Amino acid sequence: MTWAALVHVVISGLATGSIYALMAISLVIIYNATRTLNFAQGEMLMVSTFVGWTALQVLDVPLVGALLVAVVASALLGFVLERVVIRHAISATHFDVLIITLGLSLMLRSAAGVAWTHDEFPFPSFFGNRPLVVGPVRVAPVSLGIIGASLALMLALGALFRWTRLGRAMRAVAQNQRAARLMGISVERVYSSSWVIASVVGAVAGVLIAPVIFLSSKMGLVAINGFTAAVLGGFGSMPGAVLGGMLLGVLENLAPLYLPASIKHSVPFLTMITILIVRPGGVLGRVARRKV
Amino acid sequence: MISRASFVLLLALALSALPAAAQQGVSDTEIVIGGSNSFSGPLAFTGDQITKFGVDLYFRVVNDAGGIHGRKVRTVYYDDGYRPQDAVANTKKLVEQDRVFAIIIPQGSPPVVATLDYLEENKVPMLFPYQSSPVTRGKRWVLQGMTLSDRSSKMMIDYLAGQRKIKRFAALYQDDEYGKSFLTAFEKDLARFGLKLAAAESVKRGVTDVSAQVAKLQAAKPEVTFLVLVPGPGAQALKERQKIGWTDTIMVSTGPLTDERYLALAGDAAEGVEGLSLWPDPVTSDLPGVKLYREHMLRYHPNNEVNRYSIAGYFAAMLFTEGAKRAGRNLTRESLMTALESIKGYASGILPPITIGPDHETQKQGFWVRVEKGHFKPMTDWLKSE
Repeated sequence: MTWAALVHVVISGLATGSIYALMAISLVIIYNATRTLNFAQGEMLMVSTFVGWTALQVLDVPLVGALLVAVVASALLGFVLERVVIRHAISATHFDVLIITLGLSLMLRSAAGVAWTHDEFPFPSFFGNRPLVVGPVRVAPVSLGIIGASLALMLALGALFRWTRLGRAMRAVAQNQRAARLMGISVERVYSSSWVIASVVGAVAGVLIAPVIFLSSKMGLVAINGFTAAVLGGFGSMPGAVLGGMLLGVLENLAPLYLPASIKHSVPFLTMITILIVRPGGVLGRVARRKV
Repeated sequence: MISRASFVLLLALALSALPAAAQQGVSDTEIVIGGSNSFSGPLAFTGDQITKFGVDLYFRVVNDAGGIHGRKVRTVYYDDGYRPQDAVANTKKLVEQDRVFAIIIPQGSPPVVATLDYLEENKVPMLFPYQSSPVTRGKRWVLQGMTLSDRSSKMMIDYLAGQRKIKRFAALYQDDEYGKSFLTAFEKDLARFGLKLAAAESVKRGVTDVSAQVAKLQAAKPEVTFLVLVPGPGAQALKERQKIGWTDTIMVSTGPLTDERYLALAGDAAEGVEGLSLWPDPVTSDLPGVKLYREHMLRYHPNNEVNRYSIAGYFAAMLFTEGAKRAGRNLTRESLMTALESIKGYASGILPPITIGPDHETQKQGFWVRVEKGHFKPMTDWLKSE
């Protein structure tokens, strides 16, 4: 294996890692606001990408238009699901809500099968597939594009949480819901916003990854890696989600290079278990200590 | 509370109420057959196409023309989502509750393997399973459908190593029964030429990135790289090759993969790819049976595009119909199997003349294709695997 090939494999891993990171971020956004896991995250990504694709096919809009349609559709879907389904379970246990989202994911996948069949479809990409040659190294624009676009979105989210009123409100609710409510923050609005923002992040991730793994009713399974990434980085931490995603993407690619076939597929999980033993809160997470 | 004696009595009554010689699933007016298939999960599209748009399409034509010896054919399917345990439950339900006559075109090696013993024990015919592992060979009640992996491998290696004198081979395969059965066969056939695989890399189902595997294969410098994958990862591998500008290898797809759907996914990265095709081109072939299949699809499902999956199901129903016709009005599982085993040189208009015989294999052939301007162009006539 030449080092040039290694560079390509690592960059390719960072590209898929960026998508895992975006999935992890959208899970963490909802988790921080509502303390529940959204198992339907992947299927929401899938449905919004399909809607964008339909706009591409039917209305013949350019790819940017399809991205916008996907983003708007996703925001709407997130908003409606939260208001119509999740909000009613506001007083239910986290476990109940988790089961509800699991049910939603199955429903969305079946509905997508009815609407668009379970076939796989090619999806156009913003970035080319043919390599750029830099000395001995070959890099695919599609990998660089995914990494760049994801980083830009992450920075935008960072700015949103740091500098906007809504972002501050969301951080406050994440820290202490009751105190936030006493300070006059509408917790319901934060719930709603967190679902909408997480859905939008998912839609962008969907449009970025669909050219690589193809558009299909099962593409939502990519969210499973988002869970792993979020745990790896420390569940609840945004920088942790980014780090966890990138780490997972690169590990997944390096393992088949150096390890025998029989164990390579389990490497991401072995790593996760090891990290959780050494640092139970994840790489950047904190362990909540309960005072007695 | 029913006492044991009255229970036995009831049972005896129930049994005696059945007509003596009736065959399960066959009435005066109807033949019921069915199968467990993928209507969700990774092979959902294929499952939908082979059953509802393939098998059922042909039976609609048969039923509209009066049925088989006056009996209409009805089909029942259940979804196993490619899960062996669901396939077993579905198959038991089909046999014991729906009381089907036979199982038709179940899909995927793991689900099919899981139901083999049950069907053998209960003497229920398993007709034309849509999978390529040789585990179905040598069973009394199974008639294999798709060309088996060892036959495919023999045709591929004989053609590449024998006719085209290629020496260095590698393989990218799916990490399951489908991939491994091909890998074993490749190694055996290459050994006949004093060759072996220079590299073999596995891919897990639902993989997001195959760059590492492709980089390792490239480092082994093979002249030919076999793809033993399903359409998604197959197309991903082709795009990955384009990403790293790897041009000095011929990518060759195996029979189950060589289909238009996978070309469509890979786009221009599929140009120059070769493969073994098990079916004539469903869109352009002038064979009489393929033309008729297109006409029927247009009549009953005008919005469903023709493809190699639905034609496989259509063909399975055609063979069943031929067997049931030969078995005559007194249709039993035995008479059906005997009739199908007697098929010699049957001209379907789709595949070369079919002879089934005691080896229970219906398809044994394939031909070489190459992708030119987004379409498979035939490169050889039908190759032989015997």
